[in-house]
Amino acid sequence: MTTAAETLKPRRPSLRPVWEEKPTLAGQIGKGAILTLVVLVVVVPLWVVVVTSLSSADTINNAGGYVFLPREFNPSAYVAIFSGGQVTDAILVSTFVTVVGTALSLSVTVLAAYGLSRTGTLLHRPILFYFLLTFLIYPGMIPTYLVVTGLGLKDNLLSLIVPTAVSAFNLVVLRAFFMSIPSELLDSARIDGAGEWRILFQIVLPLSRAVTAVVGLFYAVGYWNSFFNAVLYLDRNDLQPVQRILQQFILAGQAPTNVGSGAVVHIPGLGYVAPPNLAIKMAVVVITLIPALIVYPFVQRHFTKGVIVGAVKG
Amino acid sequence: MSSSPIVEEAGAVTAPAPAVHTVKTMSFGARLRRDWPLMLMCVPAMLLLAVFHYLPALGNVIAFQDYNPFAGDSPLQAFLSSEWIGFGNFQYLFETTAFWDSVRNTLAITAFQLVFYFPIPILLAMLLNSILSPRLRSFVQSVVYLPHFFSWVLVVSLFQMMLGGSGLIAQTLREAGMTAPDVMTNPDTFMLLITSQAIWKDAGWGMIVFLAALAAVDPSLYEAAAADGAGRWRRMWHITLPGLRPVIVLLLILRLGDALNVGFEQFYLQREAVGRDAAEVLDTYVYYQGIGVQQWGVGAAAGLFKALIGLLLILGANKVAHKLGEQGIYSKS
Amino acid sequence: MGASTSRRNFLGLAGLGATSLAFGCSKKPGSTGSATNAEQAAGVVPTFKESTLVQPDIKGIRPMADGYTKYPTNLVDGITEKAITSGKPVTATTPWWGPVPPSSNKFVEAVSADLGGTITFSIQDGNTYGDKLNAMLGARDVPELLCIPGWEINKLARFNDGVHVLFEDLTPYLAGDKVNAYPLLAGLDTAAWKDSVWGGKLMGVPFPTDSPYPTALFARQDVLDQRGVAAPTSLDAIYEFGKKMTNEAKGEWAFGDIFQEVLQICGNTGSQNGWAKGADGKVFHRYETPEYARAVEFMARIYKEKLIHPELASTKGGDVKTLFKGGKIFMFADGVGGWKEVQRDIVKTVPAFNMQAVKVFGADAGKPPVRWGGTPSIMWTFIKKGVGQARVEELLRVLNYTAAPIGTKEYELQNFGQEGVHFKRDANGAPVTNDLYSKEFANQFIFLGGRPPVVLGGPDIPNYAKDLVTWGNDATQYLEKNPWEGIKVEVPTQQAAIQQPTDDKITDIQRGRRPVSDLPKVVDEWRKGGGDAAREFYAKVLADNGR
Repeated sequence: MTTAAETLKPRRPSLRPVWEEKPTLAGQIGKGAILTLVVLVVVVPLWVVVVTSLSSADTINNAGGYVFLPREFNPSAYVAIFSGGQVTDAILVSTFVTVVGTALSLSVTVLAAYGLSRTGTLLHRPILFYFLLTFLIYPGMIPTYLVVTGLGLKDNLLSLIVPTAVSAFNLVVLRAFFMSIPSELLDSARIDGAGEWRILFQIVLPLSRAVTAVVGLFYAVGYWNSFFNAVLYLDRNDLQPVQRILQQFILAGQAPTNVGSGAVVHIPGLGYVAPPNLAIKMAVVVITLIPALIVYPFVQRHFTKGVIVGAVKG
Repeated sequence: MSSSPIVEEAGAVTAPAPAVHTVKTMSFGARLRRDWPLMLMCVPAMLLLAVFHYLPALGNVIAFQDYNPFAGDSPLQAFLSSEWIGFGNFQYLFETTAFWDSVRNTLAITAFQLVFYFPIPILLAMLLNSILSPRLRSFVQSVVYLPHFFSWVLVVSLFQMMLGGSGLIAQTLREAGMTAPDVMTNPDTFMLLITSQAIWKDAGWGMIVFLAALAAVDPSLYEAAAADGAGRWRRMWHITLPGLRPVIVLLLILRLGDALNVGFEQFYLQREAVGRDAAEVLDTYVYYQGIGVQQWGVGAAAGLFKALIGLLLILGANKVAHKLGEQGIYSKS
Repeated sequence: MGASTSRRNFLGLAGLGATSLAFGCSKKPGSTGSATNAEQAAGVVPTFKESTLVQPDIKGIRPMADGYTKYPTNLVDGITEKAITSGKPVTATTPWWGPVPPSSNKFVEAVSADLGGTITFSIQDGNTYGDKLNAMLGARDVPELLCIPGWEINKLARFNDGVHVLFEDLTPYLAGDKVNAYPLLAGLDTAAWKDSVWGGKLMGVPFPTDSPYPTALFARQDVLDQRGVAAPTSLDAIYEFGKKMTNEAKGEWAFGDIFQEVLQICGNTGSQNGWAKGADGKVFHRYETPEYARAVEFMARIYKEKLIHPELASTKGGDVKTLFKGGKIFMFADGVGGWKEVQRDIVKTVPAFNMQAVKVFGADAGKPPVRWGGTPSIMWTFIKKGVGQARVEELLRVLNYTAAPIGTKEYELQNFGQEGVHFKRDANGAPVTNDLYSKEFANQFIFLGGRPPVVLGGPDIPNYAKDLVTWGNDATQYLEKNPWEGIKVEVPTQQAAIQQPTDDKITDIQRGRRPVSDLPKVVDEWRKGGGDAAREFYAKVLADNGR
């Protein structure tokens, strides 16, 4: 527990404010018990996943699946995943898509959220409905495919970004936060002659660092994890995002079942496939978690209190 | 700012206090001159959605067709040349009792989860927010959000590993000579099971946005309240919760609009284990009766049905929110 | 439907705004089903010319493929001329279950060189292949060569229309003796070619099956021997087996899901979605037979007595093969392809592991089983429409190359890569592949086009070919005669849609959520919901074909 916590490096130590009561013993115990329970419920399965990913086929077979107690340190699953070179290439592709995509999405979403953050502006309601309606009506697969390929985006990494660049959910969440910024702050800036762009970049965004970071995280995770657009729009095998490659390791050797009759279809060539190995599946899960663990502290550091009060006083 | 009755003060700062521009007194030209920068800011996002969302969404006309992608001379032509069948796809859906069973199941699950799942991320965020040690706080935060990255296949199989008939608990009980219950195949407790799975997978993820909201609460309010003699519970009630309220209301309304979407894979995986009566939701029904038998028009019709119900629920919920003095998802007037 | 939007349809459109509840006048969606004519199909298939270069070690009784226990060493040149002469790269899309190989790929380069040109592969994940195909086909955006597995065709919207819109009619190139221009394609099984006819035209190159059986009942023979338990030979014996082998406290359960096998053991029909023709000439479905009731009842019993592993009962994501390898279950039903896969993997660590397909048997001594037959072709390769005659011929030469049989250098190159680069030979001359092979090989050329099927083991699984062909040959005597054989039947939508609700109810009975006595009611609901209509449809197909 402590080792993981230490690596997260908090920005600064915070102490109990002077005005707050001393915690009661019962409160401390209750809180501690709940926290321990919450952490254990997550950590135990996580532990099993990690241990299984480092187990040999023999250990896994004997356990009939998941392994609880480590018997060996066998990184062969990780070696198998990284040795082909496809995963490292795919990480580059995914990093590009995630960085560019998040930058684009966050920019257009912040702009639109701010543009809609004041009720009573011209066409405010129709524009808001325009965004909200995307929650309810979805485009189908073939029409979207026709649009994306019609724009010449097949085998282009932009096809992994633009079709899902705007999330109305993120937009309305951001807007709600923008709307809760005290209006006197914005009004005084306006009286000082600041234009909307200046207000957005010099007042609203600095005050909304936490939620902006969160929305950025939502977008980034979305881009990093998505693979279905790649299935549809990327024919080239050297241009694949990492989740797609990892999926292939997970599903390796799984003979497809015939949905209609329930019969398992016999694929002659599959005898040659590297066997589906629970260790590989679990290693893929662990590899998926690593970027999540790396990125979260950067988001979290924006969860600092007191930005608004500072702004009001300054 | 940091004096006088705390309750009003908290409301003034943290509850939405949007600058409502005076509408009626201004001419269209004057409003345009005033608001064009704001409108311009919306344009990039609107354009992206116009091209990649609304343009292809026109394809939903197949809800009124017996869609054949190979009719006409081109794939676009197919949307015009397929046979128009009026409400045939809707009729195909609506006339079976199994469809309405699945709708009822879906709504029951949504209602159950609104009560037993929705508050969990909020409580978790408040609990974490009250931890003083930043190290412990970051550790717990990073840990609890990880299950979000697990696939449903993995979540279900981890639950089976712990709680299933051959799972850890069952085998321990057997070793102690007791009989082992199998919660994974019990239709009566299925609602509880899927909700636990959903909490395990996504409560930590859902917590993040509330943590951001808590970060936006002005700490001087707490100080002032403490100075006025408000204890920790009163502070939570009068400052923390009002600070979270706009986000809670917003997410609640959005969840209601999504009432007919409770996920697909989680139910697909566990359908045989507990049976159709317990596990059939709208999406699995449409999968088996529409898309699974290549009736894409039926899938589109179900999508439009969901949109209509979602719209009604959002409008209704928003109206209720206004009645309660909340901003809701969009404003009055 | 075409351009003529009828008046009725306009009325339907107008009804959109007017009376939204006026469902009465709108038409239900979905196809009404179709079937090709068997006579027609027979007229367009290529003339068969057997191309056995190497005598098999165990001759398979057709449709069981021949078995080779030794790798042939005297390889011949199957093709002397280069297939690709234009120098234009060929685009191809194939499925694969596993990591996609790197693009700079010595294996593809070696085969391409032998072909005389480049093949640009787009290898797509087999598990999302159906979605990919639906998008590609729906947008009419297909490569020059497209491999489509049979089970995906069932998921493709209006494929019977699409196949003629998107792909080249191969009849003018291959029918009858015209196939002589592509001699290796002539070596593919005639039944598989008949299976490649849509609407009276030869539309694709088939990938013949190497064993007709969709499933086999697999057992851990090594454990059985060790515990002195005999493999079951009757339905009661399966139950006894289950009781003997289940030990919950040790975490051992006898079975994985065995329903598909129990159905066959009880003598149920299955080759045509369960439809069959009775001695009285009437068409019936297995749901309506006592054999079916017996199988469901048996399953309900073994579920009730908890003889099936709980993990497999609680999620579709259960990992039956790991449980089997680890000795947590001892018997399960699976595709025949699973045999090689499991045995080959496990002998690396457990040399004594012995997976065997249980010799087929009937429910009682006097009651023979029914073994279902799969389709003669399990995949097809289609050629994009409109590429021009010269290009079609060139692409067919490529498919001729990929149809090279065992015993040719081309077969070895496509299956094992280059000697010294991808494999070396053991003492008997059999190829032993290396890591580079595992990395670069994705069945690219094998899935690209059919080949005469063979059963071939390897040095690590010496008994596999003999065991499988012996089991298959024995099962041939019980192989179901499918009255619709050679007719491509597209099931009407309504009947396809009734399947899942019925299966759900039967699952409920098996799992004890409904009493077994509910079965007649379930079957009755099925009859009314579309079963009877389906009977008429299937009967009409038979009548139309004079059967």
